[in-house]
Amino acid sequence: MSNGQARMKFYCDTTRCIECFACSVACSEAHELPVGISRRKVVTMHEGIPGKEYSISIACMHCTDAPCEQVCPVDCFYIREDGIVLHDKNKCIGCGYCLYACPFGAPQFPRDGAFGTKGAMDKCTMCAGGPEETNSARERHLYGHNRIAEGKVPICAAVCATNALLVGDAEEVSTIYRKRVSSRGKGA
Amino acid sequence: MTRRAIIVVAASMMLASAACAADSQIWGGMIITNIPEYGKDQSRNLGPLFTYLQGNFFRSIFLGILLGIPAVFLCHYLVFGPKVFSHDGERIYVFTLFNRIIHLLAAVSFVILVPTGFMIVFGAYLGGGALVTYARHLHGIATIVFAVSVVPMFVFWFVEMLPAMDDIKWFFMLGGYLSRKKQEVPAGKFNGGQKVWFWLATIGGLVMIVTGGAMYLQDFGLGIAGGLGMSQIDLLRLAAIVHNLLAFAVVAFFFTHVYMSLFAIKGSINSIITGYKEEDEVKHLHSSYYRKLKQVRKA
Amino acid sequence: MTNHFGDVVGHSKVIFIIGANSAAANPIGMKHFLQAKDRNNAQLIVVDPVFTKTAAKADHFLRIRTGTDVALVYGLMHVIFKNGWEDKEFIKTRVYGMDEIKAEAMKWTPELTADVTGIPAEQIVQIATILAKTKPATVVWALGITQHSTGTSNTRILPILQLVLGNMGKNGGGCNIIRGHDNVQGSTDMCCLADSLSGYYGLAEGSWKYFAKSWGVDYEWLKGRFAAPEWMQAKGFSLAKWWQGVLQEETTYSSSPVRALWVQGNGITSMSQQVKIQEALDKLDLVVLVDPFVNEAAVLTNRKDDMYLLPAATQFETEGSVTATNRTSQWRSKVVDPLYESKTDHDIMFLFAERFGFYDEYTRAMKMAVKDRELQPVKEEFVWPDDACREIARTIKTIGLGGWTPERLRKHQENWHMFDPLTLEGKGPMKGEYYGLPWPSWDENHPGSPVLYDVNTPVTAGGMGFRNRFGLEHDGVSQLADPSVSVKDSKIAGGYPEITKDNIEQVLGITLTAAEKEKMGANWKVDLSGIINEKCLAAGVAPYGNARARVKVWQFPDPIPKHREPIHSSRPDLVERFPSYDDQKNNFRVDVKFVSEQKAQEWVKDFPTMLVSMRVVNLSGAGMLERTSKYLSHLTPEMFANIHPDLALQYGLRDGDMMWLHAPQGTKIRVKAQYSLTVTPDRIALPYNFAGVMQGVDLSDNYPEGTKPYTIGESSNTITNYGFDIITQIPEYNAGLCRIEKA
Repeated sequence: MSNGQARMKFYCDTTRCIECFACSVACSEAHELPVGISRRKVVTMHEGIPGKEYSISIACMHCTDAPCEQVCPVDCFYIREDGIVLHDKNKCIGCGYCLYACPFGAPQFPRDGAFGTKGAMDKCTMCAGGPEETNSARERHLYGHNRIAEGKVPICAAVCATNALLVGDAEEVSTIYRKRVSSRGKGA
Repeated sequence: MTRRAIIVVAASMMLASAACAADSQIWGGMIITNIPEYGKDQSRNLGPLFTYLQGNFFRSIFLGILLGIPAVFLCHYLVFGPKVFSHDGERIYVFTLFNRIIHLLAAVSFVILVPTGFMIVFGAYLGGGALVTYARHLHGIATIVFAVSVVPMFVFWFVEMLPAMDDIKWFFMLGGYLSRKKQEVPAGKFNGGQKVWFWLATIGGLVMIVTGGAMYLQDFGLGIAGGLGMSQIDLLRLAAIVHNLLAFAVVAFFFTHVYMSLFAIKGSINSIITGYKEEDEVKHLHSSYYRKLKQVRKA
Repeated sequence: MTNHFGDVVGHSKVIFIIGANSAAANPIGMKHFLQAKDRNNAQLIVVDPVFTKTAAKADHFLRIRTGTDVALVYGLMHVIFKNGWEDKEFIKTRVYGMDEIKAEAMKWTPELTADVTGIPAEQIVQIATILAKTKPATVVWALGITQHSTGTSNTRILPILQLVLGNMGKNGGGCNIIRGHDNVQGSTDMCCLADSLSGYYGLAEGSWKYFAKSWGVDYEWLKGRFAAPEWMQAKGFSLAKWWQGVLQEETTYSSSPVRALWVQGNGITSMSQQVKIQEALDKLDLVVLVDPFVNEAAVLTNRKDDMYLLPAATQFETEGSVTATNRTSQWRSKVVDPLYESKTDHDIMFLFAERFGFYDEYTRAMKMAVKDRELQPVKEEFVWPDDACREIARTIKTIGLGGWTPERLRKHQENWHMFDPLTLEGKGPMKGEYYGLPWPSWDENHPGSPVLYDVNTPVTAGGMGFRNRFGLEHDGVSQLADPSVSVKDSKIAGGYPEITKDNIEQVLGITLTAAEKEKMGANWKVDLSGIINEKCLAAGVAPYGNARARVKVWQFPDPIPKHREPIHSSRPDLVERFPSYDDQKNNFRVDVKFVSEQKAQEWVKDFPTMLVSMRVVNLSGAGMLERTSKYLSHLTPEMFANIHPDLALQYGLRDGDMMWLHAPQGTKIRVKAQYSLTVTPDRIALPYNFAGVMQGVDLSDNYPEGTKPYTIGESSNTITNYGFDIITQIPEYNAGLCRIEKA
C-alpha cells in the first residue's frame, strides 16, 4: 500500500472534537449551501453524561465500498483514483436511495421546485468539486469550491480549531492518530 | 369524487409544506437518526438489507419481469392462440358508466406508472438526469390519479371480488388458458385470476401509494415513524424494500391483465369501453355468473 | 495570562480550569489544552456549575454551586497546608501575608467546603492531592470567576493558590486568564475604563501630569476641560451602572444627571439590568451608537428621536496592532478601504475632535518624539497608525510597552513563519525575540517576556521578579524579595525596590551626570527620557523592582479573600454565616447594595432555581454580529434555556415548551425550555447572546429597515439578578436565582 495510490479519508478524533461547529459552518460558507443543508454536521452523543459524552463531526466518509454507489438507480456516483466519492448532479434524479444506504446520513436533498419536492442530491465532495470542468463557474455552482484542485486542504479540516478533524491519505491520518494515542498513554 | 381528489391533493401538499417548514428529520440540522441505527445490534439492519437487495437484485428482477412475462405470453399466444367468442349472440351489460370511468382513470395511471417506474429502475441506461427526473415526477403525479380511482373501484367491486369455491377450481385448470379447447370455466362475474389482480391492485396499490409517497416526499416528519416505533430513515428504507417487492407482483399482474384483455381473449377490451360483454364469452369464461343471470331472467 | 498557550502545551502537567468554557468561548485556546493532554498526558480538571463542552473533555469534573469559588480554593488549600504540601521556600522568599491565608484555609475542612460548594469532600481531597503532587500546574479562568459580587476575591484566591503551590514564574505554571474577544487584552491595557488612564496609571494627579506631558498639552488646560477640578481624579460611572447616572434611583454622586450617551463598540445589550438600561436609554437627551452593525441598544429603546447610528468600519478596513490574551501584540494590515459611508473608529473620533475644537491637542503627541532625552515636536503631519503606536510605546511604561514599535510589530507579522508556535522563540533572522513581544518588552531591543515573574531568566531575556508596587514594608515586614531570590544575571543580589530618580544611584551603584539627572523623570513609570530603563537593563534589573507577591491587600474590604454568599443565594442558612459586604457608598459615583439586598428577604423561597448564564459557541457578546449570519443563526435559531427534565416536569414543561423566568427584581423573560442533562435539577443555564425581545415583547419594528438579524430573542440579562463586585462593579452575571412558570 505504501507505494500505491493514496486513498483520501476523513477521521474525526472524538477526544478532540468540542462541537464548535466551525467545520460545518465553514463548509456551508465555502460552498454557499442553502440553510438547512449540512454537508458536514457535528453530533454530540450522550450529552451531559460525564465520562460518556463525546462529539463527532460527520460528513460523507468517502467509503471504499460506497453503499450509495451500489444502490444508485442512475449510476451517478463515481470514485476517483484517490478514493474521493463524487456524483454527477446532472444524472441524479433525487430518489433518495443513497440516503437509505448511507450509514452516515451524508446525502442531502435541497428543496427544488413546487410542493417541496427534493432536487438533486448534495453531499460533501471533500472539496473536490464534481464532473464539470475543474474550477469552472458551473462546477462551483453545482458542487461548491474545488479546493483540492487548488492544492488546498478541505475547508472543514483547515478550520478545525482543535485539529480533531483529520483529512488526507488514510495511512498518514492513521499515523497522526496513532502518535496522539501513544503519547497519551491510553486509548484504543 | 372531486372532493376526494381535492382531499388527496391537499393532503399531499400539506405533507410537502410540512417538509418545507423544517429541517429534515433524517439529514438536516444536526440530527442524523440513521447513524446510531445503522448496522448496530439493536437495529433492524434495514440499511444494509436495502443496500444488499437494491445493489444486487432489484434491477435484475425487474429486467426478468419486463422481458420474461411478455416472452411467456408470446409463447402462449403462439402455442394456444387467442380465445375467440361469437359476436352474434346477445350482449350482456356488465360495467356501468361509472365503473368504466373509474377503470379508465386507473388504466391511464397504470399506463403512466409502469413505464415511468421502469424508467427509474433502468435510469442508468437512459443517462439519468432530466428525463428520468421527469419520469419520477410523472410517476408521482400518476399516483394521484391512481389514488383517486382505487377507492371507488375497491368499493363497487368489493362484493363480487370476494373469494368463492369457483376460484379454487379456476386455479386448478388455470382458467382453461392452457388449452385450445373452448370450455366452460367456473367463475362468477370475476374469475380467480381477476380477483387476485383486484386485491393486489387495490390493497397492494394503497401500500404502493403510501410507500411511494413516503419516498417521494422523503421528509414528512409528522411523527408517523415515531408512532410505528421506527426512526424515519428506517421507515423509508422499509418503504423502499416493500415498494420494490410489491412492484414485481403488480407489474407482473398488470402485464397479464393487459395480455388477457388485448390478446388472449379477442375483443374482450370492448367490455370496459362499452360496458357490454358477448354472451358467448360470458357463458364460457364466467359460467357461474352466466347461469345466475339466466335464473334471474327466468324469474 | 502570566504564561501563554504554547507554554501550557509544552510544560503543563495539570490544567485547572475554573469558570471558563474554552470549548465554547475560545476553541483555539481549547486546542492547546487538548494538545497538552495528548502530548504530556496532562490532567484536565474543570470546575463549572454546568457540564460544559470543556468539562466533557476533563479528567475530573467538579460541579460547583454558583458563587462558591473562594470556598473551593480554600478547601483545596486546607488539604495542601494540612499535609505540608505547600511550596515553603517559595512562600518564605517571594510572598507576603501567607500566614493569614493559611489561618483562613484551616477553617475550610473538606466537609465544610463540600457543604458550601456542593462538591464531594473526597473529590476535593483528590484534586488537592493532584495539584500538590503534580507540577507544574496551570490555573485557567475567565468570566465565570470575575462576574460575581465577590469577583475580585475570586481573581485573587486563584493566584494565591498558585503561590502556595509555587507554580508562579515557572514554565507550565502561572495563571492563564482567557480573553473571550478580539483585542480584549489590548483594550484592558489601554484602560477603556472609568477609573484609570491608559496603562493602569490610575487617576492620581501625578498620572494626569505625566499624561499631559506625554500628550504635549498643558495640565491646566486639561483640568479646565472638567466641570470642576475634583472630577478629574474621581472615577466616572461604570459600564455596569451608568444608567443610575441617568435614572438616579440609587444615590449618585455627580455634578448632574447623565444626559447623553456615546457607545462605541460595546454591546450594552449584554449588560445586566436590561430593563433599567431601556428606561435610561428612553430618558436620555441624546444617544449616539457607533458600530459596524446596528447596536441593539437602538432596538431596545423606544425613543423615536435624538438617536444617531454611526457606521464604523471593521478591523478589515483599518490597520494597527491588537493585543492577544498572552500579552503579545499582533500587527494587522488593512484588507479593504472602509465600505460605503462607514469610517474607521479613529477617523470618527478625529472628526468629532475637530468639531469640538480640540483636534490639535488630540493629535499633537503623534507629531512628537523623544529627542535628546526630551519629548518634543518633530514633525508637521502624523502617519496613522504608526505614530499612534509610537506614542503608546514611549508612554506606557507600567507594563513595559517600550519595545512595541510599529517597525518591530510589522516585522513579526511578516515573519510569522520564523517563530516556534510553542516556545514563541524566533528562528533565523528573528532569533532572540519572542513572537509578538509579550509585555513587558522594556525597550526596542528587548525580546519580550513570555513567562511573567520568572527569576531564572535574565531581565534582558524576559525574566523578572514580582513588582514592587505597594511600598517597601508593611506592618514592619519588608515587601522586597528575600536576599536569596536574585533575578538571573542581575548585578543586584536579592530583592530591590522599584527604581526612582531618588534611589537609582544607590540601588544600581552608579553615578549619574547632571544632565542625566535633569532630564530624568521622577520614577521609572514617568521617565520619558528612558534613562532609568536604560540603566536598569544594563544592570540586568527590572525597573519595577524585585519584590514579594502580596496575598493581603490591606486597602480592600477583605484584606484576604473571604467566601461570601452571592447576593441572591440558594442557601439562606449559609447567608447567616457568610454574609455579603456592608452596603457600599460611592463606588463609580453610585451607592451599591450588598447585604441589605441579600437579607431583604429569603429569596430562595420565591425564586428556588439557580440561574447560570453561558456562552454558546456560535454567538459572542451581545450576539448581533453572529445573528446576522444565516449559518451561525441556524445553529441556535431561537433563545432557549437548558433545563433538566426532572425540573422541567415539575412545572409541566415538555421539551420545547415556552416558559417564563422571573427574577427577584420583578423582571421576566419568555424562553424555550430545552431539555438537557448538562444541568442539574437545581439550576438552569441560558445563553446571554440574544436581544430584540423584551419581557415577551417583540421589538422587531425597532430595527432600522433591512437590519433585523436572522434570529432575535430575549436577553438573559433582563433577569440577571442585582449584584455588583465591590471593587470593579462588574455585575453578578454568574450567580443568581429565578422562578420558572409555564408560559
